[in-house]
Amino acid sequence: MRFKAQIQNITTFTKFVASLTSLGPVAWVRLNENDVRFTIIPEQGTQVWAVLAIDAIFEGYTIQSAAENVINLEVPLGPLHQALKSALQATAASIRLTKKDNIPLLSITIVRNSIGNARQSASEDDDGGIGIGLSRERETTITQDVPVRVLSPSKVEGIHEPRCRDPDVHIILPPLMQLKSISDRFTKVALESRSVTAGLSAIGPRLEMAANMHGCLRLGIKTDAMKMASLWTGLDNPELDPSHLEGGMEEIQQHPSTRMKQLGGPDGQSEEGWAKVRLDGKDWGKVMSVGRLGGRVIACFCHEHALILYVYLPSERDEEESALTYYISSYSA
Amino acid sequence: MVKLTFTLTPDASARLHDALSCLGKFGDSVSFEARKDQLVLSTLNSSKSAYASFKLELGFFSAFDFASDVGQDGRFTCSIMVKALLSVFKSRAAEARGKNAGIEKCEVAVQETPEEAECRFIVKMICEHGVTKTYKLTYEPVAVVHALFDRNLATNRWVIQSSFLKEFADYFSPKAEQLDIYAEDGKATFISFTEKVMKSKSVLKHPLKTAVSVNLSDFDHFSAQEQLHIVISVKDFRSAVMHADTMNASVSAFYSSPGRPLQLAYEKDSLQCQMTLMTAGDYIGPTESDVPSAASTRPQTRGQSFSASDSRSERQNDMPPPRPSNQAIRKGLRGLGRNESSGQAASTRRVSQESDSLFVPLEESDRRWDPPDYEKVETLGWDATADNENEPHPTFRDSRIPSATDLNSNEMLEGLPPTQRISQIKGIW
Repeated sequence: MRFKAQIQNITTFTKFVASLTSLGPVAWVRLNENDVRFTIIPEQGTQVWAVLAIDAIFEGYTIQSAAENVINLEVPLGPLHQALKSALQATAASIRLTKKDNIPLLSITIVRNSIGNARQSASEDDDGGIGIGLSRERETTITQDVPVRVLSPSKVEGIHEPRCRDPDVHIILPPLMQLKSISDRFTKVALESRSVTAGLSAIGPRLEMAANMHGCLRLGIKTDAMKMASLWTGLDNPELDPSHLEGGMEEIQQHPSTRMKQLGGPDGQSEEGWAKVRLDGKDWGKVMSVGRLGGRVIACFCHEHALILYVYLPSERDEEESALTYYISSYSA
Repeated sequence: MVKLTFTLTPDASARLHDALSCLGKFGDSVSFEARKDQLVLSTLNSSKSAYASFKLELGFFSAFDFASDVGQDGRFTCSIMVKALLSVFKSRAAEARGKNAGIEKCEVAVQETPEEAECRFIVKMICEHGVTKTYKLTYEPVAVVHALFDRNLATNRWVIQSSFLKEFADYFSPKAEQLDIYAEDGKATFISFTEKVMKSKSVLKHPLKTAVSVNLSDFDHFSAQEQLHIVISVKDFRSAVMHADTMNASVSAFYSSPGRPLQLAYEKDSLQCQMTLMTAGDYIGPTESDVPSAASTRPQTRGQSFSASDSRSERQNDMPPPRPSNQAIRKGLRGLGRNESSGQAASTRRVSQESDSLFVPLEESDRRWDPPDYEKVETLGWDATADNENEPHPTFRDSRIPSATDLNSNEMLEGLPPTQRISQIKGIW
């Protein structure tokens, strides 16, 4: 069983791991010849299935295993994130699967210019500028060993990505920083107002999120004492691509979103045409942590059922092979 | 009657706060020891495995006045809770945030007259806008215990800018427990690790193991034996390094061999800091018969007379001198040693640890027949006598603390009650 690669895009990888860390402590990581997949299935809350295209992050990627060159690992995200953070200023970083004392490890080797060089070379410059000559040998090597568990194929074969009916509404979300600051505010207000009335302490505040096929998104919260809502208009509802659907144009005709287009309007004032979900405020706050990646987010609303977010990693090419998929169930009340 | 008063500038007061918060990471209370020309603040941690001391020289104070008629040794010692002091000497950061009125001067006095309340440590903060804050803390008169460290025995030493060490500490997992330091092939390596969790389920909760390798040229000076692994606590290391970095000082490390203490020392502007830390670890390099290879940025001035194998074999012959009331040290040590032996980094060193029991290398077994070096014996102990003017006292010394690697003999020792030093018995007759 072999895996090693150079980490080419350390910043993105670090942010990627950071956004996953907020959802759960341990991820199931599946490495194969085509991609790297991180999956987090917490006992409660949002599931993430994230796929990284190999060349989005890695270089010189080699993998080898008895099970058709697939390796399944259980990886603690906290330590992995911490290890990657120390690579942020690196000149080179690589990752490999290894074993020490019979414990499998993801070993991350980081090479960076010697620490404190900045200060030293600055002072040398004052003396007459012999700063850079030594820098090649002045390298610091940092090795971070993240303990992992290897999962056998039989252990993971029963785990499948959730399936969901066709969404009623799909929409591109506004910048997540906007959305996050508003939803965080709502959740906080709801938590505070509830602590006064002191009831239903087991259930967190429920955000109500809805969208229509005319570029409107509504985010609101309701407590006994008050009701608040924010409305975005003029957002994009991306067109469905017939080539991605089995039935082609005909299926688009039948698609729930086509029907939803007939209802409601672009000003968002009509009560018709909304697909609505109820989310746990705290859980949503964790999901929003993915905003740090700065990717495009498409939200698919299945009315009263689920919300699915597709977060695409920004890439120079148009391929968008790397994406994080969040499956969020809607609460009934 | 004791008279102790001193005055601090705002800057010195903030530096005192930094020193106190560093001491607070080692222990709950800080011991003061005043002499006519210096004030020493120190803490010995509860397991007696780490000792930190800050020597404030006259230059640190804008005024310093000490007079004592108590005791022949002309010292005044007391102990105060760190927390209480920390709330008095606020940090620079708190001041910058505007939480406190700016201090203009800080006056400290000790009150020990029978007429008034005794044992009061009085701090007067003279602030802007005519505000004066007076704090009265109660102190406890105690005998201060200092850890003695003989730098002459510490043949391994290095000096490095604190900024380097701070960066190393930043890479370590906050949960990591131990730090292994060694030199090899022109590089010095710092490895933070934690005792291994064997259950497969909890493997994922295991903290990161971090290795940082730097070129010896990054050190201002480096002369330490190659492949000599010295293991200290990450937490103590971090406490020392973080403080050294606030002073922007060069940190010197002195150590002899695993199981003997390591000292980190740095100083700036009349403030001398010393941390003496217990170590574990082992030596996996060539034995003494081989050419001793010392990683050095400078020609070696002394031979390696204190390699681990050397001291170990000696101990098998001699009964170590008694160490009254340092059971805790032994425990702390054993803890460190045990962790070390099962730690990942130790895997290669296992062999040499086990060598104590069965597979004794030829070189070592041969050493058993060497005559004991009597001069080296009799240096550890609680120095209860007050006739040693050169050292703060009472003290305990480092030079005879048993090696943590020497588990077998340690276990044997457990059954032996402490006895008196021979030199003291002579005094009786």
